Amino acid sequence: MSTTTRRLAGESGKRQSGKRAVGETTTPDANAPAQHQPTAKSRQSQRWLAWIFLAPTILGMGLFTLIPIVASVVLAFFHWDIISAPTFVGFDNFSEVVQDPTVRVSFLNTILFVVVAVALQLGLALALAIMVQEKMPAWLRVFFRSAFFFPLILSAASVSIFMRYLFNEQFGVVNWFLSLVGIPAVPWLTTPGGSAAVVIFVYVWQNFGFSFLLFIGGLASIPVETYEAASIDGATGWRKHLYVTLPLLSPTTLVASVMAIISALQVFDQPYVLTRGGPGDSTRTAVMVIFESAFQRLEFGQASAIGVLLTLIIMAITAAQFRLSKRFVFYQ
Amino acid sequence: MTGATNGHLREITRRTALGALGAGIIGATVASWPRLSGTDIPGRGDNSLSIAIMGTAADAAARQRAIDAFTRLHPEIKVKVQAIQAVDWKDFFTKILTMVAAGTPPDVVYVATEGAQLFAEKLAHPLDEYVRRDAADMAEFFDDVHPSLVEAFMYKGSLYQLPMDWNAANMYYNTTAFTQAGLERPADDWTHLDFRNSLAAMRKARTSDFTPYYWTNRLFGGVVPWLYANDTSFLKETRSAGGEWLWDGFYANDPSRSLRSGGYQWLEPNANDDRVFESFDYLRGLVKDGLGVRPEEGGGSSLVGLFASNRIGTTPAGGYWVQGLHEAGMGESDFDVQFFPRWKTQRHQFGTAGYAIMKTAKDKDAAWEWIKFSSSREAMELIFPNPITTPARRSMVNEQLYAGKGPANWKVFYDTLDRFPTTGPIPAPPQQAAVETALMKNVSLAVSGDERQLKQALASMQRDLELALRRQS
Amino acid sequence: MTTTTDHGLAGHSPRLSEGLPETSPNRRRFSWNFAIRIVLLLIAAALTLGPVLWTLSTSLRSPSESFKLPPSFFPWNPDFTSYGEVFQQLNIFLLVLNSALVTGLIAVGQMVSAAMAGYAFAHLKFRGRGALFSIVLATMMVPVQVTIVPVFMLIRGMGLSDTLLALILPAIPTAFGTFLMRQYFMGLPAELAEAASIDGASPWRTFRSVYAPLAMPGMAIVGILAFNFHWNEFFRPLILTISEQNFTLPLGLVSLQGNLGTGSISVVLAGVVLSMIPALVVFMFGQRALQDGLTAGTGK
Repeated sequence: MSTTTRRLAGESGKRQSGKRAVGETTTPDANAPAQHQPTAKSRQSQRWLAWIFLAPTILGMGLFTLIPIVASVVLAFFHWDIISAPTFVGFDNFSEVVQDPTVRVSFLNTILFVVVAVALQLGLALALAIMVQEKMPAWLRVFFRSAFFFPLILSAASVSIFMRYLFNEQFGVVNWFLSLVGIPAVPWLTTPGGSAAVVIFVYVWQNFGFSFLLFIGGLASIPVETYEAASIDGATGWRKHLYVTLPLLSPTTLVASVMAIISALQVFDQPYVLTRGGPGDSTRTAVMVIFESAFQRLEFGQASAIGVLLTLIIMAITAAQFRLSKRFVFYQ
Repeated sequence: MTGATNGHLREITRRTALGALGAGIIGATVASWPRLSGTDIPGRGDNSLSIAIMGTAADAAARQRAIDAFTRLHPEIKVKVQAIQAVDWKDFFTKILTMVAAGTPPDVVYVATEGAQLFAEKLAHPLDEYVRRDAADMAEFFDDVHPSLVEAFMYKGSLYQLPMDWNAANMYYNTTAFTQAGLERPADDWTHLDFRNSLAAMRKARTSDFTPYYWTNRLFGGVVPWLYANDTSFLKETRSAGGEWLWDGFYANDPSRSLRSGGYQWLEPNANDDRVFESFDYLRGLVKDGLGVRPEEGGGSSLVGLFASNRIGTTPAGGYWVQGLHEAGMGESDFDVQFFPRWKTQRHQFGTAGYAIMKTAKDKDAAWEWIKFSSSREAMELIFPNPITTPARRSMVNEQLYAGKGPANWKVFYDTLDRFPTTGPIPAPPQQAAVETALMKNVSLAVSGDERQLKQALASMQRDLELALRRQS
Repeated sequence: MTTTTDHGLAGHSPRLSEGLPETSPNRRRFSWNFAIRIVLLLIAAALTLGPVLWTLSTSLRSPSESFKLPPSFFPWNPDFTSYGEVFQQLNIFLLVLNSALVTGLIAVGQMVSAAMAGYAFAHLKFRGRGALFSIVLATMMVPVQVTIVPVFMLIRGMGLSDTLLALILPAIPTAFGTFLMRQYFMGLPAELAEAASIDGASPWRTFRSVYAPLAMPGMAIVGILAFNFHWNEFFRPLILTISEQNFTLPLGLVSLQGNLGTGSISVVLAGVVLSMIPALVVFMFGQRALQDGLTAGTGK
């Protein structure tokens, strides 16, 4: 990062006090909250109020998230088919799961999916957000924003239903368009490469709008003066974005990427409706395997074991992300 | 007006508005409480006989006339039909198992071949004692129903369901496409090579926006009919002993009596069989030469539309398709049906369905009364007024059912059973869901690459099937 | 302004030049940059809206014409039979009512509980705040598929199996909403609270008279996002509801596809279009609030 940008960013930070986009700070301790004058009485009444305010969320999460997580871990050591009583099997579920080629492939698929889908989603969203935020008639901007946000209001299930028709090999619209430019029919949903591409496309198509919106928010909080200062320094066009926008946007990027990764790791609806995980295991994701082993094969213990492994992986990835962010994210 | 009072006023209206909003939300919640807690669902929690069927509310309503007739006969038994929406049978069984897990299992479930052994093994109560007890009444039913259908519901010597409706995988064809290609109606004993030639002729006649052979990747009507025709299957098929009580009691004089057993068993994978390879290789050839599509997994939802818009030459389907094609605008002579082509045999694949009594049913006698009533000709005519499926009773598959809708050769449907008595059910052991997944996920790869890819896909199918069958399910 | 310097990404230290940034308001002449940008955006907009338009126009065609190629994206001669069919096959009103109840109550519940918890994390001091907040955030990472079986048993224990409440109650505690509200409250100017505490107001009074009136824009974002997510939710309803009387819209739609290929594409797509309408309405009313809220932490 050049010294010029640091200086520019520093200046803008001062001008900007008290105005901050949602999601700009992420780590719990990144920003200290507003300080009140502490008196003993006030501190105690703050404590009381805090626990009252936290009660619904904490109790709800304890009941519907934490207890189920613990239960899930316990269940991973049992064999249970819902119909007969559970039997303790030690680490059998884990060793079976680790050896199951389908489980291994699905985990690998999930990681590949996350890498590709999130990169596309963020790249696309950022590029479009920058283009939309630059000078253009207001009505046009409203149109573009609405258009890019639109897929987000649809359900993944219904999107997958109509995308299935669009990507049909013989009668689909996509292949018809390709035939216009002389490309022979692509077997989208029946080859491993094709179906992976479709699942990624459909997922990104539907979800880039959310990252787009976050980036719009982040961009709007960069004051115009920063750009003016940058242009005085001679930064134009792409260079301006590289040196000014990206660093100033890095907190938003962190939030957008954490959210995109968490949601991509849990992708289910699209492959479930589009390909049922096939052909082969090419679009089978980790959560699909959990679903199949629990609700189609009634292997609840095994499903829990897969779930526990998946959760550990997600946590490791997120922790790594925050660690990396300490180096690359630039707070104003 | 000063700014202060203005602000004060705004504060008051704001609070009133917020208060009204809060009260509104609470009011709406209270008003909709029966909906939220499900207590408004009729028959919930009462002791009426609950019957789960796959379908929509419309399907449940279609059964209302049958329920009314039943109530006239048995005023003491209260019946409620619960329609459960599902994409396929696997999905439906998931829902039933969920109900079991939720502690609210139905008493009677309409189960198809796909789930027959899962239910027989874990959830259902055998009908043997009832059938024996009411043998006099049941003789008329079995007399009208082909033993192949009944055998599909035998499991380890006991009978778990009475077949109500069924469908074999016959071959539908578009008569216009056949005529355009200069083809006549195929002979009853056409072979897989004749079939291929017909496809090639259609391909030549219509080069674009048309598929000579459209098929789906499912347990029913996918690769299995080709395996059966080639006298093999992806699972080793054996029979268990027993069942004499039924066969001797009701089918003693049936020409196929000697074929009957205590039920099918599928215990070992068979994907490494040479004939399985041969069948897959045949399909691979069709795909490679542009005669057939690569099948989508879980596909087929657009099949009726494609067929009705003359984009498909042939596809495997059963009697259940007639009503759909009719509704999609196909005239009775626009399509016809013929037996599935012969290879080593002309054994067909079929699926059937009927009611099973759950082990947990409170009043099993009442449940049996419903099943017995449903198997009567009177009830079946109320339930199947249209060709949305093929009734299990031979006498109901008649001119009248297909009048004005086609196909001209509707006789093919029931003749399939009589002409080819070895015709067998969808292979569905108790581990059906896992087995189905193991089969389906490897089909596309097997038929859409080179020979090496096919061998790999079959090897991985063999391995996946082994894993699936090993599960204690 | 020259296009060549725009591509000079290699230069590490920006040099002075005469060029003005394109955001400069006082130039009105044709710019290639502008044109390319608009064309790219139009392509992207066509790709996002095209499939939706195709869905709409196909749903307005008779089933036998549903596979028409070349495709048409505008319904010139609408045919509403498929919509009639949807109403016949599905109890759309009940599906919408269920979806609305589930989504509405989740949204309200999340708004209130997230605002309270978010405020506590942002402005109230208590022991273990950081740790507790980290735990709350961490729950976001656990896929719903991992906890669904225990949640299912819990619901059974509460006697709520196959009810809408089974969908609503577990969805109210929200880690993401709490996070958003915390950020939102922290984004409000600190001087507000300082002024209040100088006046000697108790924490409750500070909240009620200073922060609560300003909380609405932040809560609106939480509500809209909750609505959007749960309106379209597929997995939990798939597992937690059984009777079709308790189905929500996405489940009903998938079952329109029919068994064994007997569904009709235009009917399915008509169902898809119908399910879009309520979300579209909320989106039109909520878009402004959502964009403002996400754009600036301070609501005015």
